[in-house]
Amino acid sequence: MNVTANDAILLAHATFGVLGTVSALWVFVETLNARDQNLQRIRTAALAVAIFMIAAWILGGYWYLHFYPVERAMILQGPWPFAHNVFMETKEHLFLMTLILSFYLPIAARDKLASSAAARRMVLCVAALIALSGLAIEGSGAVIDHGVKVALLRPSGAEIRK
Amino acid sequence: MSADSSRLGRASAAFGMAAAITTLFNTGLACVKDAYHPLTNLMNAIAGNNWTTQGLADVILFVGLGLTFSKTRMVQTIRPDRLIVFLAAAAVVSGVGLFAWYWVF
Repeated sequence: MNVTANDAILLAHATFGVLGTVSALWVFVETLNARDQNLQRIRTAALAVAIFMIAAWILGGYWYLHFYPVERAMILQGPWPFAHNVFMETKEHLFLMTLILSFYLPIAARDKLASSAAARRMVLCVAALIALSGLAIEGSGAVIDHGVKVALLRPSGAEIRK
Repeated sequence: MSADSSRLGRASAAFGMAAAITTLFNTGLACVKDAYHPLTNLMNAIAGNNWTTQGLADVILFVGLGLTFSKTRMVQTIRPDRLIVFLAAAAVVSGVGLFAWYWVF
């Protein structure tokens, strides 16, 4: 088995992104039933969202700056250049929006969720936005990954592999 | 409905508005730097890469606006439902706007 730093960082980035997305869903479900007994759990989950997304940001940013340029060149020479031009460009900027919402979620979760319907609606809205944008970002990652794959598998892919 | 249930806390309202504005700023900056390369070059020079600079600018703007709105209490006068709709609309417009921008241009 030969797992390079490139592989490990990329997989860790995607893993933390998924954990952040799932944690946002956890916050959403807990907030639907917010009461005094589960307030601490909601706040812990909201903090977990922020921590997971920060980890995804740092790891993804490092990978993007140090390893992605090679893959970008492959994608742009391959049959799916839109995997970079549309999906990566959208993903890398959409993620910053998800990150800001993830910073905000623990702040919104500090509000009086058990007694304030408005505070609950805000947390539900932000958690849903994080979960949905997280899914869109994960899907974009799959398209980008496939963009590299089809570039390497096409008949002239051997030239790219060199 | 009690008065308590109809309001957001000060920090929640302030940073909610900050998040909405930062989201729109993020999309606007992505489009402008894509269209105006001197800005991209400037952002590359600031933090080594324009994406890094943009991320840091977003975080600084979010924190700065959030703290400012918290002190002024101005955002707390906005009805919570309007603020929630504004935040959701900003996120949807930003996401769809980014995809549309890179799809078209």
